[in-house]
Amino acid sequence: MLHDDRAFFDAFDAALTADERELSAWLAPGSPPGLSVYRNTIASGAVDALVATFATVMMMTGEEWFRAAAGEYVQAHPPCEPALLAYGESFPTWLATFPPAADAPYLSGIAQLDWLWWQSWSAADAELLDGAALAGLPPERLSDVTLALHPSVRIASFNAGIPSLWLAHQSPTRGAEQVLEAEPEHMLFVRTGAQVEGRVIAPGPLAFIASLAKGASLIEAAESALAADPACALHQVLVTGLALGLFTHLSPIERNPRHDD
Amino acid sequence: MTNQPAAGLGLKPQHYADALSDPAAGAWFEVHPENYFCAGGPRHSHLTAIRERHPLSLHGVGLSLAGDERPDRPHLLALRHLVDRYEPFVVSEHLAWSRRGGTWRPDLLPFPRTRAALMRIVSHIDETQEELGRRILIENPSLYLALQGHDYPETAFLTELCARTGCGLLLDVNNVVVSANNLGFSAEDYLDSIPSHLIGEIHLAGHSPDPHLGDALLVDTHGAPVSDDVWKLYQRLITRIGARPTLIERDDNIPAYVDLQLERDRAAHILSAAGSHRQAAHAA
Repeated sequence: MLHDDRAFFDAFDAALTADERELSAWLAPGSPPGLSVYRNTIASGAVDALVATFATVMMMTGEEWFRAAAGEYVQAHPPCEPALLAYGESFPTWLATFPPAADAPYLSGIAQLDWLWWQSWSAADAELLDGAALAGLPPERLSDVTLALHPSVRIASFNAGIPSLWLAHQSPTRGAEQVLEAEPEHMLFVRTGAQVEGRVIAPGPLAFIASLAKGASLIEAAESALAADPACALHQVLVTGLALGLFTHLSPIERNPRHDD
Repeated sequence: MTNQPAAGLGLKPQHYADALSDPAAGAWFEVHPENYFCAGGPRHSHLTAIRERHPLSLHGVGLSLAGDERPDRPHLLALRHLVDRYEPFVVSEHLAWSRRGGTWRPDLLPFPRTRAALMRIVSHIDETQEELGRRILIENPSLYLALQGHDYPETAFLTELCARTGCGLLLDVNNVVVSANNLGFSAEDYLDSIPSHLIGEIHLAGHSPDPHLGDALLVDTHGAPVSDDVWKLYQRLITRIGARPTLIERDDNIPAYVDLQLERDRAAHILSAAGSHRQAAHAA
């Protein structure tokens, strides 16, 4: 009996994608032709999730193009879990290989920024660092502590002005006026309250944040920032970071004693 | 003001502010827990604020209880986390499947109601109730295909699940109307054969004719107001069983909050009439 049920699920799965022959053994005479209702619901559920997540891509391509592209992605990479908030992580890289998007190579980067925006928006909540704790830190401790980043912090680097293009399309009118600049740009997302702030950042702050994200000490993070941009004003990076809510707490670095000795 | 849940609304993100300030007595809200399977952010802060003022129900769409695989452990743990955090007055799921072989189909799919299926789903409900530490309600599906090989009619299958697991039923009157229309059975007979004491919640929603087949195939779209035939059956059901928490579901073509409030008030009126009728009967 269990075996029979398994055969039913196999047959139903086959019928959902194309082949209805196996399922016909389970259909009662006179059954309504309702398979298309299930097929449509499944296809539109996943596509609707991508429409919500990759809103900037859709704004740039138009809804018809986007839904057709999303439909192809859904066929190739169906959802594996019911939390559709988490669906579409591989859509940006897939878009880069999607032949109809070849004449708009920036779309993959735009999709990556849409994805990071949602990651930031839905990340865990956390208390922010009190700036006084940083001000009171003795210089000799700069190599012993790291700054823990807020869970909503996301950074990404591009070899063209994709972040500015993405930001312009968050306004209903500015998007069409923005051209894609050839200079590399770096994007930072962080959530403050209910709002996700996205801003273009310079190579120095990017290196500083990337370093902290790996658990480096404050001194190591500062060195990375200066290596990326010798003119980087570290004090300004910290002040801006505090104001944006990038940091949650100072955390001692666990060092392996064998390395310290 | 009584906080006893009477007539409630499915909570949509565009209605958070309206829901938060909704003064209706007995108002409550329902969400799909899967939409809150994220660590933090505005979605949780809104739901937390609403939960501080109103009762909440978690109505799952993704456990795939009727599937041929055990409930997904990470899914159960995420659900338990939400149950612990929000203390809902009801947790419910569907008599359907959606997950198989590492893929999730965003739908509620049918299956033959065999004896083997009964045993399997009983064990899935047992596992879910044990993990959550509480009773759940199971919702009757909307059906678009007439399968053969059933060992039980749907109502007997649902009743048997309740008897064996201690779960209750979420009776979706619109789903009964849709399935009865599509498969050619009597919605009245179906509703009459569900034992009153098993019904813990009722859903009301709108359906739409299939774009190609018209009224021959009704689709449970949740995209229209509750239809007149659903209201009539609901009135008839409440007259038989008495008041139960009742939800207006709307997931597509979402109207202004005030329009949903009007439908909810209509259900609340039917519920309070049933309540006073019962009190009068007791007093007599």
